[in-house]
Amino acid sequence: MRRLRGWIRRAVAPIAGGRSDADIDAELRSHLELHTDDNIRAGMTPDEARRRAWIALGGVERSRDAYRDQRGFPMLDAIVRDIRHAARALVKSPGFTTTAIAILGLGIGANAAIFSVVNAVVLRPLPFPDASRLVRVWHTPPREQFPGVTRFSVSPANYLDWQAESTAFEHMAVYGYREANLTGRGEPDALQGAGVSSEFFEVLRAAPILGRVLGPGDEDPVRSHVVVLGEHIWRTRFGADPSFVGQAVTLNGEPYTVVGVLADRMRFPLRADVWLPLAWNAEERAVRGNHNYLVVARLKATADVRQANAELATISQRLERQYPADDKGWGAIVLPLQQDIVSDVRVGLLVLLGAVACVLLIACANLANLLLARGLGRSREIAIRAAVGASRARIVQQLLVESSLLAASGAAVGLAAAAWSIGLITKSFGATLPRASEVALDGRVLLYTCIVAIVTGLLAGVAPAWRMTRGDAGEALKQGMGRGGSHAGERRVRNVLVTAEVALALILLVGAGLLIRTLAQLRAVNPGIDPHHVVTMGVVLSRAEYDKPQRAQFSDEMLRRVRALPGVEAAATIDSLPVDDGGSMQPVAIEGDAPRPLSEQPEMAVRAITPGYLDTVRMRLRDGRDFTDADRDGRPPVVLVSASTAHRFWPGRSPVGQRLVLGLLDSQPREVVGVVSDVKVHGLQSTDTQTIYVPYAQVRQGYETLVVRSAGDPMGVVPAVVGAIRSINPGQPVVDIATMDSVIGESIAQQRFAMRLLSAFASLALLLGAIGIYGVLSYGVRQRITEIGIRMALGARALDVVRMVIVEGLKPTIVGVAIGVAGALALGQALSSLVFGVTPRDAATFVVVSMVVLGVGLVASIVPAYRATRVDPLLALRAD
Amino acid sequence: MGDGDVWRGTLALMVLKTLDTMGAQHGYGIARRIEQTSGDRLVVQYGTLYPALLKLEQEGWIRSDWGISDNNRKARFYAITRAGRKALERESREWERTTEILARFLAPERT
Repeated sequence: MRRLRGWIRRAVAPIAGGRSDADIDAELRSHLELHTDDNIRAGMTPDEARRRAWIALGGVERSRDAYRDQRGFPMLDAIVRDIRHAARALVKSPGFTTTAIAILGLGIGANAAIFSVVNAVVLRPLPFPDASRLVRVWHTPPREQFPGVTRFSVSPANYLDWQAESTAFEHMAVYGYREANLTGRGEPDALQGAGVSSEFFEVLRAAPILGRVLGPGDEDPVRSHVVVLGEHIWRTRFGADPSFVGQAVTLNGEPYTVVGVLADRMRFPLRADVWLPLAWNAEERAVRGNHNYLVVARLKATADVRQANAELATISQRLERQYPADDKGWGAIVLPLQQDIVSDVRVGLLVLLGAVACVLLIACANLANLLLARGLGRSREIAIRAAVGASRARIVQQLLVESSLLAASGAAVGLAAAAWSIGLITKSFGATLPRASEVALDGRVLLYTCIVAIVTGLLAGVAPAWRMTRGDAGEALKQGMGRGGSHAGERRVRNVLVTAEVALALILLVGAGLLIRTLAQLRAVNPGIDPHHVVTMGVVLSRAEYDKPQRAQFSDEMLRRVRALPGVEAAATIDSLPVDDGGSMQPVAIEGDAPRPLSEQPEMAVRAITPGYLDTVRMRLRDGRDFTDADRDGRPPVVLVSASTAHRFWPGRSPVGQRLVLGLLDSQPREVVGVVSDVKVHGLQSTDTQTIYVPYAQVRQGYETLVVRSAGDPMGVVPAVVGAIRSINPGQPVVDIATMDSVIGESIAQQRFAMRLLSAFASLALLLGAIGIYGVLSYGVRQRITEIGIRMALGARALDVVRMVIVEGLKPTIVGVAIGVAGALALGQALSSLVFGVTPRDAATFVVVSMVVLGVGLVASIVPAYRATRVDPLLALRAD
Repeated sequence: MGDGDVWRGTLALMVLKTLDTMGAQHGYGIARRIEQTSGDRLVVQYGTLYPALLKLEQEGWIRSDWGISDNNRKARFYAITRAGRKALERESREWERTTEILARFLAPERT
């Protein structure tokens, strides 16, 4: 009980004040006075009396420390005191403090920002209950026809068999993108619809914020006109009206009853605006050879991904045997949903995370260097503290508190920088970043930043603290201010730090260099079309409003009116734009070859275009003729083939007049009427340019992209073009308006973004490295002023001195470059999925980057070298 | 620290006894008094005295306040409390018993 009371008093002492430092000092002072008085009474001289009293008190510092230790909890109390002391010391040297906090702020800020993206995209679970059990099921396509493709969308009949036969899943659901043209309420809008099967929301366990979600019963074709709205649509288009459930909206020209509203948090698939029942009819359910749907499922609690994969492999093998014409070579793969969603950006994000970690390490090394340089000026202060009895542990603790305080301030600055840059980062990622809306500074990011700051403080503080307290106190006192320390040992520590900085900076620069070259290579790729002065826009004709002949009529009329507009040079349509990956891949059979089932036929891109498309994008006709308005429904079916397609099927001879069958469309043979130049249909990085073009009028799909070539600014004609389309149908939505240049730019957005960020981080690293080299050399020159003075007095010329300093600076730089090159060679593999047209071991990049680093090292040495030549031998000698 | 602990324990007892017999006294005075009483065979380490005083005060056995010394110096004066007197009695008895036992152990060896 008594002990408890004592503890409580001690615990509150540092907080409640108890006995203050001033009080303790006053009491010790009074003790000294009383003792001195006594000594004088005993006959000593006043000086002697005071001296004896001092000695008897046993070292003021030690008495005071012991006294304080009893006052509260010594550790806690000492730390509180050290923090106050450190804060005062830092405020006293604003230059050092500002530099240190800025360096740390950049390092920690970059880490916090990139981590917040990684956290939201890769680490945080999807916003559904028990999200770890959600998986995606894909087809794996036959390797010969789809080399390098590991995931493929799913055909309805195969999905239904998987669903019926598998036991590893609680529920399995299928969905596909659906057009959803919203009309009748303000500006017509092409919403992104998701057609979902009745199990879809049960798989996700997504609860609505209003009304209900879709479920069994909604798939009944008679009652299937119900819709769930996304929260953002409900808010922006319908004023967040809570009574909106039960009302009707017009989608694709038909009335749909709104049954519920889904929170944006739960938005899945990621771009969906509205959810409609899939409601397959019998004909659709039977499709096995056309793969257009995506599958999500929830594993049973007792099953795991491995079991599910094994089970689906068995089912797929049976399907292959049962339906060889459609399913030969088609397997299945189960992937955790979260991993699947982020797989495209995962590598890029992890590379960036590595890059910012490098920047932080460099910042640490720099701070350590700064602290060492500062310690030089404080060696006297530390020696005095040691002499009056402060233990080494206490001094180390105090120095670590100082570096931690710097790190904490750096973290505060860094968090502010991160908060500011997060918006910028997610925006520049563009559409390539899934879950971008979830990126935020949440608790986990704060925790991460705290840990980073603590580790940074200790990492940067330990080496200097250890070095500074190692020296002999008496030695330091004997030496003049600013000249203490054991020279060779300390310089070695600093050289190691600089070497590490140079090596890390070089690794980052190599990464940035490789991406810069990648981007240059991508920009140099000829897309096969002339994208300048071309604007594109999506025109979605809903199936409900337009049947097949009507769609052709609409298309003709639209092109006729657009072409008549002033400023428009040419206009045509294509279903899926080139370069923008996506679009139809279809099996092709050549007439005259041995017949093969669809599943074994070679697959290639098939694009539906209108006459005039070749001229609009300036593709060249190599052989035969272009499509004309006469190539219509009911006329003999015709196709154009790309030069690479012609080379594949008819090497060395003209394909004109040959015939082929596109089995997914129908069984009619189509005559090749011409050969056109190759276009990068699958994106700039792809080498596959094999394409077959069919006349839009002979296939008539629902989706068309209008492509308009203008005389001047392509965006200038947009209002007139949209006006022309609306003059045919005032309710016709026009979406995704963009110049062809920006479509191509968007296709390499991820590389561009990674390149920009990595370049920024690498430049930062180089700058910090240069500061490090500069710091070490200036310090070295300052330390060796006497030596330099003697050399000059003995006749060394300025050039010799310059050479001496620069050689000293280049030594750690060269070692750092060597280590960095080795590191970059080892780590280059991580970049292999991001680079294009260069190998991760690209010699030119390595040479250029090494030269740059050496050059920067040289420049950073020049100022200290110059300063060394200004040493006045007389002054330098006298100073000692 | 074994030695120090014993010393601290006895130091506390000496401080309490000193304050009990002399009345309020400052730290320096307490130290001198202990040294004198011991016939100058003990030297009080002031680095241990003040923490010991603070500890006693935290236990509630003594209390302290600033005052003026005989020779007109400002000093902190310590005085024993009621709890302190009880503790002194208890600890004295304990100490006497301990020394008595120890004396019995050690006595035969002397002969």
